[in-house]
Amino acid sequence: MRRASLAAAAAALVTVTLAGCGGGSTPATTTPTPVLNTQQIVVDLGPDLNGQKVGADNSLYTNVQICLPGSSTCQTIDHVLVDTGSSGLRLLSTAVGLSLSYITDASSNGIGNCIQFPDTSFQWGPMAKVDVHMAGEIATVPIQIVSPTNFVGPPTACSAGGVAANTVSSLGANGILGVGLFRQDCGAPCASSSPPNVYFTCPSSGCTPTTVALTAQLQNPVWMFGADNNGLSITLPAIGATGATTVVGTIGFGIGTQTNNALGTGVLAQAATAKGMFTTTFGGVAYTNSFIDSGQGAYYFLDSTTTKLPNCPSGDAAGLYCAPSPVSLTAMTSGPNPSSSGTIVSQNIAFSVWNALTLIDSGNPAFNNIGGPNPGAFVWGLPFFYGRTVFIGIEGQTTPAGSGPYWAY
Amino acid sequence: MNKALILMSALTAAALPGWAELGGSVETVATDQVRLQAKRAITQMRDYNIHLISRDDGTLIKEYVTPAGKVFGVSWTGPTIPDLTQLLGTYSAEFQTSVRAQPRRRRAGVVRNPDLVVESTGHMRAFYGRAYVNSMLPSGVTAETVK
Repeated sequence: MRRASLAAAAAALVTVTLAGCGGGSTPATTTPTPVLNTQQIVVDLGPDLNGQKVGADNSLYTNVQICLPGSSTCQTIDHVLVDTGSSGLRLLSTAVGLSLSYITDASSNGIGNCIQFPDTSFQWGPMAKVDVHMAGEIATVPIQIVSPTNFVGPPTACSAGGVAANTVSSLGANGILGVGLFRQDCGAPCASSSPPNVYFTCPSSGCTPTTVALTAQLQNPVWMFGADNNGLSITLPAIGATGATTVVGTIGFGIGTQTNNALGTGVLAQAATAKGMFTTTFGGVAYTNSFIDSGQGAYYFLDSTTTKLPNCPSGDAAGLYCAPSPVSLTAMTSGPNPSSSGTIVSQNIAFSVWNALTLIDSGNPAFNNIGGPNPGAFVWGLPFFYGRTVFIGIEGQTTPAGSGPYWAY
Repeated sequence: MNKALILMSALTAAALPGWAELGGSVETVATDQVRLQAKRAITQMRDYNIHLISRDDGTLIKEYVTPAGKVFGVSWTGPTIPDLTQLLGTYSAEFQTSVRAQPRRRRAGVVRNPDLVVESTGHMRAFYGRAYVNSMLPSGVTAETVK
């Protein structure tokens, strides 16, 4: 206590001294020193597994530091997947070295969190509250610890016959950093009296779905930062048609909150629906269930019949498009202006799709021209991010371009 | 026939074995309704019926039923993915096996086998998809009906 008081006094003294230096003879108008709001992101061959790179295709990673709340007991975890398609931080238990206490409900039962992906993979595990540090930003939030050995296994309502993405080899990452359009992973449905299969209370008799208040759900850490919390941006350089061995870019926090994160000239903001969707028009047809997802490694859109792009043969590239030569395509994205006007804002997106088998077999991990089918809609996956800055306006957060949820690019 | 279906009580349905499911009989649709804690409405079309199952959380499941009372297609939208092991019934294993046979990527789950077609996509808060069995489509009904 005494030591803390002394430290605080010393800190105050330093502050005064600094202000005195900078102020000169004019009255000090103190502008708080901006927090460092950018950090590096990378597309590479992924995390180490038994001394070798796991070998990912078009996976975007960053480092995340987690600390016991309010402490300097911390650890930095590399190769966490940057995912604009989900919200909340999920770390493989095998990557977490800190001794964390799991969150329990009012009856002291463990609470399990479940996320299911359309490819039938899923992640299951308890939650723990930590300080998430990225750049100079800090958020104190619950995160998911995936498949720790000291927590009950997944209920069948979560596994649903699928495969757990709970190892470096099955996930291709040490965790998922969900920094999408939404504040929480689930939102209102999970806070209702009839919750879906996301949060489970787990007494010894077994896990059953349970209601969890918005504030206790997994949070997109960005909107919980003390500053620069209205959104984020992802910037990746352009790459060539044969791919790249490593691509280094930047994740930036805040929109219009500092001198380095204004939308900029020519950048158009397009609101997404409450479900995070917008319209993509291709070949004269409007596909209303389209979205931007850095967690998916290709342009996933429509089907071979509609796109006239041949499907790849079975093998490494099964489920992707294999065009014999690069095919240039254009689609138009549309959404209301997130500012008060609400006028529909549209822009044409030129993109290219080539032979996924050739690209994958090249051994490069980064491609801007890999595509595959997605039923009835466009998923603008990681290739969309090369050569762009993509802004994500978080739901309910105010920015100079209007309130989220929106995309801007 | 349809009136009887509408009047089928949840209690009766709960006693029935199995799940309604793709390829299953229409009685299992009611079982789904109970297990999903959902409401149900039936729309009669010329060549088939649609059983619409809705939950308060926004989940909407449509089960497409032949005049003979077999479920030939299902579709869904919702904040989470409905339990496909239940919805796909005996076709669930084929779906899982076929998905796992593909190289692992973060993307939609799409299976286009000669008879079974499953398309599952979306993201947290907004998933959607459909499944149908080609050989069970009533005459005059195309796969595009299931949506």
